[in-house]
Amino acid sequence: MIDRHDVMRMARLARLELSEEEIDQYQEDLMRFLRSGQKLQQVDVAEVEGTSHAVHVAHELRPDQVGTSLRQEAVLSLGPRVEQGFFRVPRIVEGQE
Amino acid sequence: MSKVSKGVLGMANYDTVIGLEIHVALLTDSKFLCSCSTAFGAPPNSQCCPVCLGLPGSLPTINEKAVECATKAGLALNCQINLFSKFDRKNYFYPDLPKAYQITQDAYPLCSRGFLDYYVDDQLVRTEITRIHMEEEAGKLIHSGSSIVSSDYSLVDYNRAGIALIEIVTAPDIHHPGQARLFVEQLRLLLSYIGVSDTKMEEGSLRVDANISLKPKDSDLLGTKVEIKNLNSFRALEKALEYEVSRQGEILDQGGTIRQESRTWDDRAGRTMSMRSKGDAPDYRLFPEPDLPPLCLEPAWVESIRASIPELPLERLGRLEEQFGLSRYEATFFVHYPDFCQIFFDLAEYDLSPKAIVNFLMGDYARLARERGHLDARRIAGLLTIVKEGLIGANQEGVVLDALFSSEKSAREIVKEQGLEALRDSTELQGVVDGVLTANPDLVARFRSGESKLLGYFVGQVMRATRGKADPEVVNKLLEEALS
Ligand SMILES: [Zn+2]
Repeated sequence: MIDRHDVMRMARLARLELSEEEIDQYQEDLMRFLRSGQKLQQVDVAEVEGTSHAVHVAHELRPDQVGTSLRQEAVLSLGPRVEQGFFRVPRIVEGQE
Repeated sequence: MSKVSKGVLGMANYDTVIGLEIHVALLTDSKFLCSCSTAFGAPPNSQCCPVCLGLPGSLPTINEKAVECATKAGLALNCQINLFSKFDRKNYFYPDLPKAYQITQDAYPLCSRGFLDYYVDDQLVRTEITRIHMEEEAGKLIHSGSSIVSSDYSLVDYNRAGIALIEIVTAPDIHHPGQARLFVEQLRLLLSYIGVSDTKMEEGSLRVDANISLKPKDSDLLGTKVEIKNLNSFRALEKALEYEVSRQGEILDQGGTIRQESRTWDDRAGRTMSMRSKGDAPDYRLFPEPDLPPLCLEPAWVESIRASIPELPLERLGRLEEQFGLSRYEATFFVHYPDFCQIFFDLAEYDLSPKAIVNFLMGDYARLARERGHLDARRIAGLLTIVKEGLIGANQEGVVLDALFSSEKSAREIVKEQGLEALRDSTELQGVVDGVLTANPDLVARFRSGESKLLGYFVGQVMRATRGKADPEVVNKLLEEALS
């Protein structure tokens, strides 16, 4: 069961701002996901090996070679406030002793 | 498990329980999951790409060298290497994390159950390593104030974001701040021996978070633990833990309770401060990383990494003590300075006593070598050999050593050119001795009437007259004969 409170909490964790209508909509969508999951839980998987990943590919490791990065201007253009080549961010924690 | 003395601050009623999490940046040329450079000191935000910035549509690929380094560290720390490990996505918002998630290993780490043995006050102790997992480094924050708590704003450089890290997690079986420091020192040395990290704490490539709690001496229940972050020097680690021991001890003494929290070390103020994050308590919503398949290693590959592990610090310490008869102090010096140790081993191949080699290397040579770089072992051996043969006196050793550093000549050539051979010919020295005694009739009289310490003065005069080349043994003998 997913209630409006759960949706609001998930939205907060994902830093999403949802309207009242969107909260209702997501609550309904997420309930549908859960119902699908419940259906799957009825399948007998005693004989099935665990899956850790959706696609079965052997991992391909990359040789340790330096490639091209983005230019600094391109990177900095992604942030709202920059200072001397850095991103400038507001106060991070509120502290006390 | 050996017992270690406890309670450095005299908190007699409590046991201190410390566990450490050590983040180590691995020595790779490119980042963990993308090919951006890891070079230190580049302009800020110039070593970033769509993968490490988490731009839509980018896909990570694992750096082979990073896996190799992590495996090597695990093996050197006596861990089990898990042939199957996998990656997870840890979601949180923090300014140093451009993607708003970190790829890490949660339930299936690469390495588990290891240990590190090290000395605490001459006693060998063991700290268990719970696990070592691979993950991505975060970006670098530069705070406007003296600590994160007192800063109105911060600057972020993402060049570091995405560098391959290992996180080494110890069991909570460290018992005092000094031990925590010794553990990290030994760990750092070991990591530098196996070459997986440059372990520069000042550049942030080795960082320590410490969990610390106090519990009443008679209790089995662990106290509430506090996590201390931002410990970027050995001194900070020890000081912050000492501060916490006394802070928590005082609270408990007054019947208070410890709040479970993260605290940051303010080096300038010399105290830890609470870090209360804005918003919710952390909920990382870990889930299997969809962009990376599990990491499956071949046993033969792991064995090939094992075979590449060199002699480790503790083994080397034992060998220096047992095979060469060095004292703990001397052996520790060579273990900490592998370049000096290599020269020691090279010199040990010559017909020289370990004692003579050690005294030489730890003496003036150490200072000169640090300033001007090492000499060839062959040329040092030449000097030690002529000293051993008595070709030059102890006084001349320094002169020859200086000349070795400033020329390419051999010790023998230097001695010959500068005429530094020791004077031990009695007939020749007799003349000098007679001259000194004739020039000081008053002193000779005083010596004869009992002032025996004047002998040293006469020896000094003879040495001066021969520019230090006279063999002191012969001079002593001649003087004693002349004065008797
Ligand atoms: Zn990148």
